[in-house]
Amino acid sequence: MAQNMMLYWGSGSPPCWRVMIALEEKLLQGYKHKFLSFDKNEHKCEEVKALNPRAQLPTFKHGDIVVNESFAACLYLESAFKSQGTRLIPDDPAEQALVYQRMFETNNLQQKMYEVAFYEHYVPEGERLESALKRNKESLIAELKLWDGYLEKMGKGSYLAGKSFTMADVVCFPIIAFFPRLHCPRERCPRLMEYYEMLKDRPSIKASWPPHWLEKPEGPDTLKNL
Amino acid sequence: MAQSMMLYWCSGSPPCWRVMIALEEKLLQGYKHKHLAFDKNEHKCEEVKALNPRAQVPTFKHGDIVVNESLAACLYLESAFKSQGTRLIPDDPTEQALVYQRMFETNNLQQKMYDVAFYEYYVPEGERLESALKRNKESLVAELKLWDGYLEKMGKGSYLAGKSFTMADVVCFPVIAYFPRLHCPREHCPRLMEYYEMLKDRPSIKASWPLEWLEKPEGPDTLKNL
Repeated sequence: MAQNMMLYWGSGSPPCWRVMIALEEKLLQGYKHKFLSFDKNEHKCEEVKALNPRAQLPTFKHGDIVVNESFAACLYLESAFKSQGTRLIPDDPAEQALVYQRMFETNNLQQKMYEVAFYEHYVPEGERLESALKRNKESLIAELKLWDGYLEKMGKGSYLAGKSFTMADVVCFPIIAFFPRLHCPRERCPRLMEYYEMLKDRPSIKASWPPHWLEKPEGPDTLKNL
Repeated sequence: MAQSMMLYWCSGSPPCWRVMIALEEKLLQGYKHKHLAFDKNEHKCEEVKALNPRAQVPTFKHGDIVVNESLAACLYLESAFKSQGTRLIPDDPTEQALVYQRMFETNNLQQKMYDVAFYEYYVPEGERLESALKRNKESLVAELKLWDGYLEKMGKGSYLAGKSFTMADVVCFPVIAYFPRLHCPREHCPRLMEYYEMLKDRPSIKASWPLEWLEKPEGPDTLKNL
C-alpha cells in the first residue's frame, strides 16, 4: 500500500508535515517520497507540476490517485485506511464535531503565524508597513490566547480536541511547533508550550521531524519580541 | 432532527451559504436560524460569542453539539446524515480524492477573490497600495484560469469534481457566485460562468440564495475591470 504512494515535500513546511504525520499514524511508513528544497525553488519542477498545476507542496499520489492540498490528503488517508493505525476522526458525533472544528480553526493560527513570522516572505519590500506588522502581531497574540484557553479548559494532558490524539493534532501540531522554535515568549501561550512538549516525542512526530530542525535545533528568533 | 439545529448566519457570506446548501442537500430543511446583519456588527453579539469565541458566522449548533467553521459543519453534516439526501462525499477513493482536493483548493479562490473584491474592507485606508491590489488582481486572474481549465478538461455539464454534485460544489459555488454578481468579465472564466448558470437554479442553492441578492440582482461592479 505505502509502496505505491509518493509524497513530494519540503522540510519544515507545515502542510507537508501534516501529511507525513498522518501517513505515520495510519501505519503507512515506507511511502515513497521526494524531498525538495524551497530555497532553490525545486518545488516548481516539472515533476511536481505534472501532478499539481499549483506547483506547491505537499503533492501526493496514491497509485493513480492524486490528492493535493494537505487537508485533502489527510482526510483521504483517514478514509482509505480507516481501520488501520490510529483513528484520527472519531465516530462519536460530539467528539467528531470538535475534531473538525479545531482542524479548520487551525487555518486562523497558521495564517496569523505566517503573517508575523514570514511577513517579509509574503510582503514585497516596498509594501511593508510597521502598522500592518503591528496589527498582525496583535492578532497573533489574541489567537494564541484563544488556543491556550481551549487547552486550559480541557485540562492538563489534553490533546487539541479532547482526551485522544486526533486529526486536529495532526493538522495543528506542525503550526504550533513553530512557536517554541522561533522563540515565542512562553507567557504568550504556556499551555501550547506544554502541549508541544507532550507531543514532540510522539513516534509519528519524531519520525517526520523536519530534517533541518534536527541539524539546527534553535531556529531564528523571529517571534522573540511578540 | 433539523428542529434541534440552530444556524447563525449573514446574508451573502460564502461560509454561511455553504452550510445552508449542505443542510438543504441533506434534507434538513426546517433548521432554526437567526439572520444577523454584518453591517451592524450583529455577528459580534453575546448569543454568538457564547457558542463561538471568534464571534464569526456561521456559528452552528446541533442539539448540544457546536460545530463552527463552515467546512467543519459541512463535513459533520455529511457524516451525521450520510444516508439521507445527496451523498456529498463519494465512497470511491478516486472520486473522493478529487472532491477533497477541490474543496480545499477553494480556499485559494476565496482568498484571492476577497483580496480584490474586498480589498478596502480588509486593508485599512493608510495601508492600501496600488502595487498590492495589482498583484492581487493578477493572482485572481490566474486562479480563475486554473478553475476554468479544470472545468474545460472535464467537459460541458460537469460539476467541480466530476459528473455529480458533491461537497466540492457545496463549498465552492458560494465563492464562484460572486464573479457574475460583481461583473467579472466573462472572458476570465467562461466555463465558471456556465457552471454558475447550471447551478444557480439547483433547489438547495435557490432555497439559500442571499436575501439582498434577491432584492438587488445586480451587485456592485467591483470586478468589472479585472
